Amino acid sequence: MAAASFAYGAEPALTGIDFAVSPGQAVALIGPNGSGKSTLLKGILGLITRTSGTVEVLGQWPAPAGYIGYVPQTDQLDPHFPVSLEQVVMMGRYRSLGWWRLPSKADHRAVAEALETVDLGARARTRFGELSGGQQQRGLLARAVASAPRLLLLDEPFNGLDQINRDALIETVKRLKQQGVAVLVSTHDLDLARAVCESVLLLNGAQVAFGPRDAVLTLANVQQAFGSVGVEMDEHTIVVPGHGGH
Amino acid sequence: MGYFEQALLAAVLIGALSGLVGTLVVLRQRTFFAQALTHATFPGAVGAAILGVSIPLGAAIASIFIVGIMTMIGRVNRQGNQVASGILLTAGFALGVLLQGLNPSLPVKVDSYLVGSILTVTASDVTLVAIVLAFAVLAIVFLGKQIMFSTFDVNGYRAAGYREWPIELLTLLLTTATVVTAMPAVGAILAIALIAAPAAAARLVSRTTTQMFVIAPVLGAVSGLAGVLLSRSLDVAAGPTIALTATGLFMLALVLQRLAGTVRAPREADARRAPRRSLRLKA
Repeated sequence: MAAASFAYGAEPALTGIDFAVSPGQAVALIGPNGSGKSTLLKGILGLITRTSGTVEVLGQWPAPAGYIGYVPQTDQLDPHFPVSLEQVVMMGRYRSLGWWRLPSKADHRAVAEALETVDLGARARTRFGELSGGQQQRGLLARAVASAPRLLLLDEPFNGLDQINRDALIETVKRLKQQGVAVLVSTHDLDLARAVCESVLLLNGAQVAFGPRDAVLTLANVQQAFGSVGVEMDEHTIVVPGHGGH
Repeated sequence: MGYFEQALLAAVLIGALSGLVGTLVVLRQRTFFAQALTHATFPGAVGAAILGVSIPLGAAIASIFIVGIMTMIGRVNRQGNQVASGILLTAGFALGVLLQGLNPSLPVKVDSYLVGSILTVTASDVTLVAIVLAFAVLAIVFLGKQIMFSTFDVNGYRAAGYREWPIELLTLLLTTATVVTAMPAVGAILAIALIAAPAAAARLVSRTTTQMFVIAPVLGAVSGLAGVLLSRSLDVAAGPTIALTATGLFMLALVLQRLAGTVRAPREADARRAPRRSLRLKA
């Protein structure tokens, strides 16, 4: 992605984005609320207008269909929608199924495997809305896994998750990276960035910094991205390479 | 077939069609839009009566204009679809009444387009409903999984490489066709009860969308059948009786659902709505 900008209608939402992610690598998108993390993911998906610059997914634009796995925030979904977890994960197979065909045994096997990957095999027939927030998040990850993506986009996957669900999620993402999947994850949580991401893209309506994780997460950069409110918090907890923890 | 048997057949077919399409409308949260559509087709029907052309044709043409205008209003800055539907709902209804008032010598009773007159439906009305029902069944059988995916998670659907507009257009066409073909029997105003109530009732007791697509048409057909039979034995108007039967079935489903606890409140709902931390930095 080079010098890319995105807009909702006439209002610019995110400008000057310049970064890349390689297979098997992960980039964390970090910034305050409204800094454009979700916007960037939607821009990659082609859901919002790009006003300038270039975006290429796997060397193409628009992104080749079916190569991107997207894990939305669960609060964007209707919690009372009558659909089972298994059906949600099967949605990841629709692209390869085409419009008319019904799922084959291989598709059902892929769904069962994806559910095992996120440790939800026993809940396959549960109505999606009856699962906990963390289980829903893992279910959506299983849907992305079932689609065998080359690029995985995760939108705030840690929101409202307890430690067990966080660990399960991190393990799955690590496994996907080992299989050569490129990962982009928007997060407020540096634990996630530290656990799975080699690089960090700091955002605040525009690109603040991009590079190796520890080189980007400096006090000055985080201060620039989060403003003065963030800095007071950071003073006590941020790790600045070469300065040790404080 | 006598007029009463024909009325029963019309009620069953319209009920099934409304339940099926209503499932799409309810799941896609387009109930208010459908309601605006039902009211706004009314002037089309009155216009057709004045010009002496086919009533469903007049209603269909009006609905195309209405959908166009609604889309335009919906796109105006800070005017949502709800605003557009609200404006068109009352404007369409008012226009119908105005046209009616300006033409007091109309040969047909225009009131029947508001609350319907199922005992006077023609064989061609019934045939039209059957054709639309067949089309709706085919669409849902063959496109059901895409419809479900795009309705459940539109961003995920688009991320998977699909375009959303064909599904939206299909929903729009089926809703319009249902409203237009149901109008002679149950009227422009009452049609929405038959579209919304069976589907909403089915949603309360269904675990999957497939179940809902089966239960809602059955409830719709039962509403139609019971409504016509009740209206004859009680000697009251059929349209309102059908609408009230559908509403009664919804209330029954609500009670059953409360008693059986079929749909439990999502657990850990609080956790999912937990306020977002601004930044969690840990040494």
